[in-house]
Amino acid sequence: MDKKKVGSVLVVGAGIAGIQSSLDLANSGYKVYLLEQTPSIGGTMAQLDKTFPTNDCAMCVMSPKLVECGRHLNIEIITNAELKKVVGEAGNFKVEVTKHPRYVDEDKCTGCAACTQHCPVTVALYPIEKDPIFLKPEDRTKVDAILEKYKDMKGNLLPILQSINTEFRYLPEKIIKYVSQEQNVSLSKIYQIATFYNTFHLEQRGKHIITVCIGTACHVQGAPGLIEAIENELNIKVGETTRDMNFTLETARCFGCCGLAPVITVDEDVHGKLKRADIPKIIKHYKTMEEKQDA
Amino acid sequence: MAYRTHLMVCTGTACVSCGSFKIKELLEEEIKKQGLDDEILVVGTGCQGFCAQGPIVVVQPDDIFYQLLSPEDIPYLVEEHFLKGRPVKKMMYTPPGEKTHIPTVNEIGFFNKQRLIALRNKGLIDAEKIDDYIGRDGYNALIKILTAMTPEDIINEIQKSGLRGRGGGGFPTGIKWEICKKSEEFPKYIICNADEGDPGAYMDRSIVESDPHAVIEGMLIGARAIGAEQGYVYIRTEYPLAISRLEIAIEQAREYGLLGEDILGKGFNFDLEIKQGAGAFVCGEETSLIHSIEGISPEPSQRPPFPAESGLWGQPTNINNVETWANVPRIILRGADWFSSIGTEKSKGTKVFSLVGKINNTGLVEVPMGITLREIIYDIGGGVPNGKKFKGVQIGGPSGGVVPASLIDLPVDYEKLTEVGSMMGSGGMVVVDEDTCMVDLSRYFLEFTSDESCGKCTSCREGSSAMLEVLTRITEGHGKEGDIEFLEELGYAIKDASQCGLGQTLPNPVLSTIKNFRHEYEAHIKDKKCPAHVCKALIDFHIDADKCVGCTVCAIKCPVKAISGNRKEVHIIDQSECIKCGICKTVCKFDAVTVE
Repeated sequence: MDKKKVGSVLVVGAGIAGIQSSLDLANSGYKVYLLEQTPSIGGTMAQLDKTFPTNDCAMCVMSPKLVECGRHLNIEIITNAELKKVVGEAGNFKVEVTKHPRYVDEDKCTGCAACTQHCPVTVALYPIEKDPIFLKPEDRTKVDAILEKYKDMKGNLLPILQSINTEFRYLPEKIIKYVSQEQNVSLSKIYQIATFYNTFHLEQRGKHIITVCIGTACHVQGAPGLIEAIENELNIKVGETTRDMNFTLETARCFGCCGLAPVITVDEDVHGKLKRADIPKIIKHYKTMEEKQDA
Repeated sequence: MAYRTHLMVCTGTACVSCGSFKIKELLEEEIKKQGLDDEILVVGTGCQGFCAQGPIVVVQPDDIFYQLLSPEDIPYLVEEHFLKGRPVKKMMYTPPGEKTHIPTVNEIGFFNKQRLIALRNKGLIDAEKIDDYIGRDGYNALIKILTAMTPEDIINEIQKSGLRGRGGGGFPTGIKWEICKKSEEFPKYIICNADEGDPGAYMDRSIVESDPHAVIEGMLIGARAIGAEQGYVYIRTEYPLAISRLEIAIEQAREYGLLGEDILGKGFNFDLEIKQGAGAFVCGEETSLIHSIEGISPEPSQRPPFPAESGLWGQPTNINNVETWANVPRIILRGADWFSSIGTEKSKGTKVFSLVGKINNTGLVEVPMGITLREIIYDIGGGVPNGKKFKGVQIGGPSGGVVPASLIDLPVDYEKLTEVGSMMGSGGMVVVDEDTCMVDLSRYFLEFTSDESCGKCTSCREGSSAMLEVLTRITEGHGKEGDIEFLEELGYAIKDASQCGLGQTLPNPVLSTIKNFRHEYEAHIKDKKCPAHVCKALIDFHIDADKCVGCTVCAIKCPVKAISGNRKEVHIIDQSECIKCGICKTVCKFDAVTVE
């Protein structure tokens, strides 16, 4: 085989895969045309916080590659362009590319971003497709009422989520997506708030919520033993729900009933000054209550 | 209508948990039955402080204190005391280890050493009635500042009084107000920080539950001084009773024209709104709290700019703690000189502590600054229960440290506590005895702070989990030489490199216990022993053959059936099955189960 390298390569899409392929090809001596639909190279990876499996920060991985790609003499980047037509066969292709106008002189622009900051209108480069979300009519009325209540309030996201959390006892995924669309807040922002505070739950919870106080007073008076006893009794861990959906075990940082330490609450009922040996009796009480209801 | 006797039923959260609403209902019923309902009035008050003895009823004006009441006691109590006039001795308080009953509030050690300013109305008024508050000089301070004082006078008075922030930092309140007043931006906001996140501390909740109008009046005075027209109370959602009492109080104040527009016809406008937190410890930090109200991710931001210059929605904002606000009306009414006569040189006034943990009289106490720990723990708290040895007191929650038993004569004020490696914090005092393991306690606090770290600063996020990892390893019996030094080094690094108070103080529990209880760490690491018998990996349960009588109670109660033995024979614990729950030790009547 002839070892002399001839011809050139077109790489379509300048995401991390396209960039890496271009670099590999260019370093092997091919002339590379790197085609990209959006105005800049980089793709989705640039938006990621961390990458699998090393948890490295995405930009740390890719920025050297971006720079190298931009400077490589064998790579010609064609951004803001689309592939229209490919004819020919392996080894001899002809392609037709439409380059969209940029309205900015590419030779003079240094990418200082001053113009984007001052432009009065914003255009989403990656428009998010909005799927219509179907809620049960009764859920929808409830959520709409909550949204209406906090419509004019400054900083209303937290109270909205709190009301939904109280109403549904957790934050159901569908409803959160609906709120995200209606309020025009990104899902990631809602998720950030929902995971920051201890009040919010992202999974459905059981009928009875058993909360063990793990404040300092309760800790020194034996709360860890109570948790262990409840875990053994119900065969679940903290944060989990029994399979019959009757009990969820949670912990809380201090109810402020330190005089009764150690304390647990089951729903609204407070049980104080407990010993480990008291736990089976308490749980049995609620279990029989459930059985009676079923019967 | 005048009543001859008032029954003050404590309806703070702790007493409510013990059934005090039921007690109140029964009292009313029983009094009606006896035809005394036009002579005796039953009043539901806020927390009276002596939470360990709840439910509590105080008979006024005789000052008689009834405690640990159960619904069955009520008919007898009403008949004996209120119909026949014979106070019921067996329902009165008896100090542990003594036999004589103490009939009146003022004779009980827990109460008579206290000095009440912020909690002065506790147990005396119905928190849901504004008239009760007004009857006790309420809103007189507001009238005074609106008629006789300029905003400058107010700030001077507060500065002269030496009042310092009660939330933990201890920054002089007057200076804070002055900075905010000087700012030219409008509108200005004031915020009451009731996001009491310290585990083991509940004084803010109690103040709001027992005297919400004092907080509102304090905020009105603050608003007048700095020129704000809108205020917020940021309160934990875990405190439903406090929230509802505050809502009622705000509504009543509006009705009386004490909130809203043109207050008392003096052209002063101010209104209050409640914002509920959602359970994040870091939200007690002021910039983080502001972000939470704004509805964005509540991570703290760099100071300066301080909130006094650029706070809520970029406007000048003044934040004070509940207890600070509750002190303000008294200072205005009785004067800065009176206030500054109480306390020590740099710490004036009183401080409310929640005295909890291994102590006889659990509850809420307000004491003058400079009182010694000995007075708090022995005279007020009644000492450590069950004859155990007092080991130390953890002050200031996850940001504070442990003061060892050897420093029991330390006067309590901001400076002295900081000197010994602890801090005032919001005022949680958790007493620990010989059965508390200091390494486990440090691990507990680090578990809390590493969970609550918002994750913005690497030093706090990664540092806390690294410390937790080492501490967990030590408590599990895998401690190594050099672990203590590593914890110290890491601790100081986290203190230096973190942005907000959470990170700057989170190593304190570890550093202070290493300083004062280094031998416990060493015992865990070198001898693989837990001196307090807490860390499960380092203890074994044994049955003492000389003491065991073969009663089988332990074998029956053991949840994993690890104990075997026939009736009337010595029992034995199968170490491979034992989960070290300690139930056998608690149920054994012959003290035959030993821990090593």
